[in-house]
Amino acid sequence: MTRKNTATGRKSGPGSKKLLALSTTALALPGIAAADAPPPFSTLSYKFTNYQEDDISRREAPFGERERYDIDVHQLRLITPTGRNTSLQIDGNQESMSGASPWFNIAGADGDPIVNLSGASGIRDSRRELSIAGSYYFDNATLSASTGYSVEDDYRSRYYGLSGQTNLHQDLTTIAAGISYADDEIFPTDAELFNRVTKESKFSTSAFVSISQIINQTSTLQAALSITEQTGFLSDPYKLRDVRPEQRTQLALSSSYRHFFVSEDAALHINYRYYHDDFGISSHTLDSSWYQNLGNSLQLIPHLRYYSQSAADFYSNVDNFVLPVTENQSSDYRLSAYGAVSGGINLVAPFGDWLISLNTERYIANEKYSAYDVTQPGAGLVRYFRVSLGIDYTF
Amino acid sequence: MDAALRSFPFQAMGSFCEIRFLEPSRIEARANARKMLAEVNRLEQKYSRYNPASFLSEINAMAGNNLGTKLDTETRTIFNHALSCYEQSDGLFDITAGVLRRIWDFSSGKVPSQTEVDRLLSHIGFHKLQFSKSRLILPAGMEIDFGGIVKEYAADSVARLGRSLGIECGLVNLGGDFAVIGPLPVNRPWPIGIIHPEGDRNLMARLMLEQGGLASSGDYERCFVHQGKRYSHILNPKTGWPCDGLRAVSVSADTCTVAGSIATIAMLKPEQQGIALLEELGVDHTYMTCDEQISGRGFITDSSAEKIADQIPS
Amino acid sequence: MITSTRKITAILVLMLFSLLLASCTPVRAWERGYLAKREMAWEPDGLKSALDKHVFFSKEASSGGNSAHGGGCGCN
Repeated sequence: MTRKNTATGRKSGPGSKKLLALSTTALALPGIAAADAPPPFSTLSYKFTNYQEDDISRREAPFGERERYDIDVHQLRLITPTGRNTSLQIDGNQESMSGASPWFNIAGADGDPIVNLSGASGIRDSRRELSIAGSYYFDNATLSASTGYSVEDDYRSRYYGLSGQTNLHQDLTTIAAGISYADDEIFPTDAELFNRVTKESKFSTSAFVSISQIINQTSTLQAALSITEQTGFLSDPYKLRDVRPEQRTQLALSSSYRHFFVSEDAALHINYRYYHDDFGISSHTLDSSWYQNLGNSLQLIPHLRYYSQSAADFYSNVDNFVLPVTENQSSDYRLSAYGAVSGGINLVAPFGDWLISLNTERYIANEKYSAYDVTQPGAGLVRYFRVSLGIDYTF
Repeated sequence: MDAALRSFPFQAMGSFCEIRFLEPSRIEARANARKMLAEVNRLEQKYSRYNPASFLSEINAMAGNNLGTKLDTETRTIFNHALSCYEQSDGLFDITAGVLRRIWDFSSGKVPSQTEVDRLLSHIGFHKLQFSKSRLILPAGMEIDFGGIVKEYAADSVARLGRSLGIECGLVNLGGDFAVIGPLPVNRPWPIGIIHPEGDRNLMARLMLEQGGLASSGDYERCFVHQGKRYSHILNPKTGWPCDGLRAVSVSADTCTVAGSIATIAMLKPEQQGIALLEELGVDHTYMTCDEQISGRGFITDSSAEKIADQIPS
Repeated sequence: MITSTRKITAILVLMLFSLLLASCTPVRAWERGYLAKREMAWEPDGLKSALDKHVFFSKEASSGGNSAHGGGCGCN
């Protein structure tokens, strides 16, 4: 006769107190508890991405350039424990972009906006970024500090961050919070030639707080809130007419859910975010992924995302050059009311200490997908295809 | 399915160890086994009293020095657990009792004199340790020995590491201390045999372990007979003399660490008190008395008909 | 603005409420096998999450959520 071993001991009486005393101290041991500790191994990750936007349609841009952005991105990341209680993360990114972006919109004969992409030669730019973050692990909490630097031909950004997290209720609950500060400078190319501003600054302060909860053996839930305050030059200097307020407050509320389906050997991810800022823009983002394990050596991940935003108070899809330059206005499609649907399939294949990943995404923005009222359909809404190949090594 | 059940035997912590887990890919299995072995080695290097470069040796070398040794989190929590064991055993489970090894030599059968024993007793007592902030001040002549804690903790730590590496079905065995990484598919327990103290011709008992840990305490090899009396290698820190308790105890609990603590405490007590403790705690256990009676709860004893102890309703 | 404030409060309350309501069963350390899987992490692929944040930040008006705004770039 076999009897399933329950090994939970008595529920009451002096014996259970003794057992509880022994169990409590045993569960505090770092090798047993999911206590905060540096990662046991180092990981080096590299990812290459090619991002390509569809040419703008002939209907929207009857004259001139139609080719939009083509961007290659290289990402490199190293995470390594540096001591019993510390770890280090180093990130290096390099982006090369070529192509054109909307310069100005004018009204066509039928009143619909006509988009003019920037110049015949387009833009050729590259961006380099380096950031370093260090973490210190206490018994039930972690503290991290980071700093980074990003530089392009016409832009420079310095940023700093501090964040921490702590576990409660035997690690069932995790509370995290952080603040960050960025100090940016923009010095547009060909400033004098095109009568652009020569050098402007932008400052940004941001804070977040989040709570994560383990619900049961197969589910977790997280809720988070972030606030960002930007001041300085927020307009786009490359557009012929783009005047935005010198201050912007942004609020985002997000919620995430993870569930593991044991018999299917798959995990479901659902994320939702509500956003609102004082440009008048609100948005909803809902995205979901299904991580399907195929045997022990492959994971297939279809994913889908729906995004919808409302228009900024000062958005107009045709530039109005008669308006005084002190009046806010922009024809940047990113401030219009529209919706976007995107999705794709990712692949993850582990081989011992190595991991290969492939990500694909097709993104289509359209004013018809918007959940908000569209008074001025955005001109120059983007469609793109993105593919990434990544490789991870643990040592 | 059988081909995917990997076995990695190795020698560590002075005993035969083995990690078993399901993994169809041989490359994946070797990489994971290597990482888990590294964790066993890490703990052995850190806490082995045979390694003069270990952290434990460093602590012991500072005996009598008022500066003390700064303890890291892991060591501090081990001391906390040792304190818990000391308190719950009324002082019988004492990690400062290792000094008794100096006067007892089981291989040669040497028995010390009472004066020798009394002299050493003044250097034993967990309560004599001084902890200040995260430093330990070890009085002169005292010595710390994590036997009964580290091997069991290592089994749990390796099991947790195995889980974090993605292993779903696996079992860690460090010299007879077991920790389950995950049950056999689907939700089936691992069958474990407890060797009979008299030799490995039979099993003393079997346990179907689905989760948690199993630890055993018993005097299989290192007992000796002196003037007709059998002495175990387990020494009573209060008297300095070997214990007169149960012959062997195996306990299963939520963690191998707790199972090992309970087994050790039960062995340190006189026979009847040890049995009473095991029953009071309500954990599954099996034991063998001095006159070779095997009993317990939740284990399958090998004698055919009855011998499965009735489950005490809880 | 009033409508937006009400909307924000409603969503916030709903999220916190659902978090508290979610009946939580204590999960022991050795029972966390499923939760420890890579696919159950909040962000299984750190580089992908970082790039997604960057791409959506440049191509859309929204940003933020569960982290503080990282570095800046000239892309917005």
